Amino acid sequence: MNFELSEEQQLIADSIERFVADNYDLESRTAIVAKGGFSEEYWKQMAELGWLGMPFSEEDGGFGGNQIDTMLMMEQFGKGLVLEPFLASIVLGAGALKRAGSAEQKAAWLPGVIDGSKQLALAYMEPESGDEPHNVALSGTPSGDGYKISGLKCMVLHGGTADAFVVSFRTSGGTVDESGITLALIPADRDGITVHAYPTVDGLQSSEVKFDGVEVSKDDILGEVGEGFAALNAAINDGILAIAAEAVGAMEVLYKDTVAYTQEREQFDHPMSDFQVLQHRMVDMFVEYEQSKSLLYRATMEVAADGDDAQRNVHALKHLIGKAAFFVGENAVQTHGGMGVTEELRVGHYFKRLIVIEAQFGNTDYHLDRFAA
Amino acid sequence: MDIELSKEDLEFEKEVKAFLAENAYKDGDAEKWRMGWFEKAREKGGWDVPKWPVKFGGPGWTPNQHYVWQRATARASTPWDLPFGLSMLAPVLMAYGSEEQQERFLPDIRARKVNWCQGYSEPGAGSDLASLKTKAELSADGTYYTVNGQKIWTTMAHIADWIFCLTRTSSDGIKQEGITFLLFPMKQDGIEIKPIITLGGSHTVNSVFFTDVKVPVENRVGEEGKGWTYAKGLLEHERSGIAGISNSIVALEGLKEKARSVKRGNGSLMDVPSFKSKIAALEVDLMAVEYTELRSLATASAGAAPGPESSILKLKGTEIQQRIQKLTMEAGGQFSAAWGGFNSGPDFARGGTGGYMNSRYYTIYGGASEVQKDIITKKVLGIKSSR
Repeated sequence: MNFELSEEQQLIADSIERFVADNYDLESRTAIVAKGGFSEEYWKQMAELGWLGMPFSEEDGGFGGNQIDTMLMMEQFGKGLVLEPFLASIVLGAGALKRAGSAEQKAAWLPGVIDGSKQLALAYMEPESGDEPHNVALSGTPSGDGYKISGLKCMVLHGGTADAFVVSFRTSGGTVDESGITLALIPADRDGITVHAYPTVDGLQSSEVKFDGVEVSKDDILGEVGEGFAALNAAINDGILAIAAEAVGAMEVLYKDTVAYTQEREQFDHPMSDFQVLQHRMVDMFVEYEQSKSLLYRATMEVAADGDDAQRNVHALKHLIGKAAFFVGENAVQTHGGMGVTEELRVGHYFKRLIVIEAQFGNTDYHLDRFAA
Repeated sequence: MDIELSKEDLEFEKEVKAFLAENAYKDGDAEKWRMGWFEKAREKGGWDVPKWPVKFGGPGWTPNQHYVWQRATARASTPWDLPFGLSMLAPVLMAYGSEEQQERFLPDIRARKVNWCQGYSEPGAGSDLASLKTKAELSADGTYYTVNGQKIWTTMAHIADWIFCLTRTSSDGIKQEGITFLLFPMKQDGIEIKPIITLGGSHTVNSVFFTDVKVPVENRVGEEGKGWTYAKGLLEHERSGIAGISNSIVALEGLKEKARSVKRGNGSLMDVPSFKSKIAALEVDLMAVEYTELRSLATASAGAAPGPESSILKLKGTEIQQRIQKLTMEAGGQFSAAWGGFNSGPDFARGGTGGYMNSRYYTIYGGASEVQKDIITKKVLGIKSSR
């Protein structure tokens, strides 16, 4: 076991840290959110710096990184609540494609994804699927050499700017069966697709995507018919690792901001940090952050090594992160007092992102339940 | 001890429910209905000012009657009302104001003609309220004060007609001395109001700036330099109001209904054991705090300021409100993250995160939970110094 970063990993983490420090203060971020979405310029910059190609094999045109590299990047992104669709396009959409797609399908899309000119989105959640990725009601009926699909996918991250969707739909079995789920990559401009994009409370973008008799040809299908769940689940696991890393970055900002604030602000003729009740609270926040980081490392290394215990680690991580996120977020806000609930200070914004992360890809309770199962 | 309501209380409950049903909003001009509602409540014998003592036109209810009223109104369609004049300033004027002040201000408060706001917190004076610095300087001829300074978190300042304001008239001695309680109109030159937008996206609180605002001495409540004493009593009234226990009981019922509407497997979210047990734990706490309030109501003599037990109510009451908001957000699942726009999630999810974020404020305003614990430490447990 080794927790040391390679020289390359250290370099990329440092360069993202600098990027965030230079470009992602609250004011700049708020300006990007107000324009609705993310910065095209930053997205281009990320592509030019090679960040978008990190988690792809060299064969696929990437840099041969794995979940550990993504973790290092996402942790830094979390410190600035970066808005660009790295999670949506690189981790989720392309994450499913790189696993399930044929050499031809990958060649058609991955170069554009890696150079930032194309975006993918993963459309898997449904109105009644709750927290379960295998809960797929949207169904395909045979048509031509493929299927015709109708139904609704929701909370599709950055669906509004996606050039294509990786969609899960059911070709056999019952609604909650893992088998019988098929994945397809469908260009966003195909007839019968309607995208309703909307912002989320954390300043990011989501959408609902309606499929109304959309033709899916044999060439659109990723991997084998009915065998899509493994790739879908692996992409979602990568998503969980990524947002957990982002949460760790955000929690670091929150506990540090809280410590700094209590040292600056005086009440009762003392800096607030003189009060033991606040000292111990901040220690607890710090401990939660450290515990989160430890389990993040553990789960990420386990998944990267394709270990037997990988899935259980992911469940454990998502549970712990959700608990820690609320603990750290609520206490950061409380300790900042009235200022903590205003738009002016960044603590509330970080907390809002943590709230969204807690619910994403299955909430705290769901993953504990799966862990115990 | 006896848990039953008496025959008289049950009769009273019927009367209250009949009144509320008869006067619920139906249609038409909402403001006209609101004014009419208070008028009719007044005719019932002071039902428009349930907590005011008989001497000032209140109904003189027993603790049980207050309980009945609170439970019934929490479920009924009643007009909006602000606590600042009615529940916070009025008791101070009754206890410490001059007869002229009582005659001048109480009728308009009662008639809901004048909206008040509370000028307490300042940027440097939050939990440590007594360190406030807004300065009031008495003129050489002793006829008026000139007020300069800044207040913050002033709820509804943007719609208020008047403010009751804590000002500093002296910096000698300990900081609790030298605070003076002044009343003045908000709509005048020298007062600037800047909105503060909270994370739920709403505007209820403000920063208020005073530049050379002239306040006649007859608008001072009580003695110069004694304002802290008056303000403290007021804070106790504020605290018990913020606890909002009756509203939480109704909100919990609403939450269960929402959770039942969220499909999970063959049942609903209310069938998911982890969610169900959180709802149950919340209900247990709420049952207890409801009786903590009743016990405190029973011991407080009518009209007297509630004691330190109002701190328990504020602590637990606000925590419960936050848990309700959190579980509502949780019931909305990922859809609670949507900020407007079309989505297929349940309707209640739209405001989920906003409601939760705004609820974080409950344990901060009206004396943060940390302050309430300090009060209990000193006043109830009898521990003198702490840091």
